[in-house]
Amino acid sequence: MIGSKILLVDDEVIFAKNMSRLLDARDYRTLTVNSGAEAIRALENEAFDVVVLDLKMPGMDGLTTLKEIKKLGLFTQTLILTGHGSIDSALEAVKLGAYDYLTKPCQIQELVAKIQGAWDKKDGLQKRDNQEKIRKGVESPRNAFRVFAT
Amino acid sequence: MPSLPSNVSENFTATVSDADHRYRYRRLFKRFVLLTLVCSVVPLLLVGWGISTQYNYSAETRLMTDFRNEVQHHRKVIEMFLKEHSSKLELIAMTHSRQDFIRSERLRFVFDKINQERWTLTDLGVIDATGKHLAYVGPYDLLDKNYREAHWFKMVMEKGLYISDMFMGFRREPHFVIAVRGDDEQGPWILRATVDTEAFRALVENVMIGRTGEVFLVNGEGIYQTTPRYSGRIMENASMAVGDVHPGIRVRQEDADAGFNGERSVRQIVSTAWLETPQWMLVVRQDFDEAFAAENRANLSVLIFLHVSAATILLVTVLVTRYMLNLVKRRDAEAEILNRQLVQASKMASIGELSVGVAHEINNPLAIISTEREILLDASKAAGGIDPAFGVQLDDSMNQIDAQIKRCKRITHNLLRFSRRTQSVIDTVDINAYIREVVELMAREAKSSGITFFERLSPDVPPILSDPSQLQQVFLNLITNAIDAHEGKNYGSVAVSSMFLEAEGAVEMVVSDTGCGIAEDHLSKVFDPFFTTKPMGRGTGLGLSICYSIIRRLGGQIQVRSVLDQGTDFTIRLPLRSTEVQTNPNDLANQMERAA
Repeated sequence: MIGSKILLVDDEVIFAKNMSRLLDARDYRTLTVNSGAEAIRALENEAFDVVVLDLKMPGMDGLTTLKEIKKLGLFTQTLILTGHGSIDSALEAVKLGAYDYLTKPCQIQELVAKIQGAWDKKDGLQKRDNQEKIRKGVESPRNAFRVFAT
Repeated sequence: MPSLPSNVSENFTATVSDADHRYRYRRLFKRFVLLTLVCSVVPLLLVGWGISTQYNYSAETRLMTDFRNEVQHHRKVIEMFLKEHSSKLELIAMTHSRQDFIRSERLRFVFDKINQERWTLTDLGVIDATGKHLAYVGPYDLLDKNYREAHWFKMVMEKGLYISDMFMGFRREPHFVIAVRGDDEQGPWILRATVDTEAFRALVENVMIGRTGEVFLVNGEGIYQTTPRYSGRIMENASMAVGDVHPGIRVRQEDADAGFNGERSVRQIVSTAWLETPQWMLVVRQDFDEAFAAENRANLSVLIFLHVSAATILLVTVLVTRYMLNLVKRRDAEAEILNRQLVQASKMASIGELSVGVAHEINNPLAIISTEREILLDASKAAGGIDPAFGVQLDDSMNQIDAQIKRCKRITHNLLRFSRRTQSVIDTVDINAYIREVVELMAREAKSSGITFFERLSPDVPPILSDPSQLQQVFLNLITNAIDAHEGKNYGSVAVSSMFLEAEGAVEMVVSDTGCGIAEDHLSKVFDPFFTTKPMGRGTGLGLSICYSIIRRLGGQIQVRSVLDQGTDFTIRLPLRSTEVQTNPNDLANQMERAA
């Protein structure tokens, strides 16, 4: 989705900067951080549609960061992009709730396609949640009021 | 596969040379044999020696006792003979007068009576106190002879009974006499009998003395009283020292003089006993070897038994040692193979870990290069109005960068695959059907190469539990190598066979080619990552490493045998059930779905 907000998390500063530049050129809005801790802080302060997350990072690694993101209870989808691209680590990430994975190096078209998929999923989840809230509101007007109040 | 010089060999080279092995096993063999012999033959010899010594001692003691008893008995026989004749003569002298024998044929009658049972006397005569022969029965003409000066005459006149030593007398032949003194109204007279020398000798020699023995009598002066079988003649000086008169029987062993029995100088058993009357020494002697013939035979038997036993032990020891050494060799070989496999596995594990790091470190710069390329492409599109020639060159360069990035990515992904960064998906695999599919696929690809494909698939091979996609990669790698090994050849063949090893619970598959073979010094490296003999750009050197890694991961074994310029066999053994952690593809999908 053009205009989606993407959080790029990678300890490779140049790579993160380049990816940001390429995605910006394709009308995405990106924020680049270089560690897991920074990513969590950014997610706490700002809403993002998709997080593009590297697995192997110093300090808080990708899998730990993913766990922390899941704890936040957001609809934001996480896409793994790693040079450590094995099925083992990818499976682990998928088990922890990642949307999908890509291995470095990848072409920008592949990444954009995956981001699109992640956005669609996030959007779908969000809509379903809203519908659920509306359904609950119809059953209980007080709840409906609460839904609209939010 | 490019040309490689080699002979037949296993996939691993020995760390210790064959010469060292042979020397070690030879030394081990000698030690085993020596130790076993010392532990078995030495006790055998000790026991044999002990038994033999004890047996010889008791046998010798028994034989000497027998010998003594024999001589003692024989002495009694001789003494009884002399005593009997003496008594007879005494009785005749007491019951007759000289006139009884002078006037009638009485003397012949008596003579015949004495010789009736056995011929023992040569003659019989009556002599008066002056020594004159009054009557005579015998073969000699002795009637007019006078014995007044004869020693025996004086002795009988003095003692009443006398048995003489051997002497020649008037007849000029060796003989001895038994003479008794009688008394009648005319005074003393003598009844004299001459004992037949040959009859007496026969009596003396009537004892068991074997082939080498001899029995004879010697008087106190050392003169033979009978003719010995070998040592001399009657009335000659004896060859042995007589010594003092001793009571009882003496038995001893001594070396006989050379030629005692006309043959050789030997060790003898000699027994001596003195007669009471006359004082003659009875000598019985016999070759030690003959006397101890039975014992010697027993000793020989024991000796033969010991030698045969020792030889049998030696033979059995050599055979058993050889058998055991073969077992040790086999165990050593197995241990060595295991050790090498451990080393190889350890090497692979280290390289695997290294590969993961290297792949990651390369992937990140590659990703940066890739993004830089994308940025450049974006920038060139945005700029517009680029010189067309530059635009073409830029596109070419960008495509080349992309191609090289993909190439590097392929290498790093192979590295990651080699280092077990992928998980097996275990499923039922019909090996024969599987091989047919792979061979059909590769045969189509190699249609123009002149290579013929063969399948030798055993119908007994059961389905196995393994990873079909990884097995496919193994077979594709091996068959690709087999095809490449025919480079420069117009024709050749690749055969894939399968066999069920029921006893081992495994399936064996062999990929054989008639290509150029592998050099012996390369055989130990073919499974090492990045080892390749293909030209630059044709191979990464990871194909066989990945095969090795996959097969080991699936709990199997892979080995290579090769003959230079003749071909190569890759043998794979897989268990019926792979030991790899099983992950079903459906489970994987479910997991991903759940995670989503």
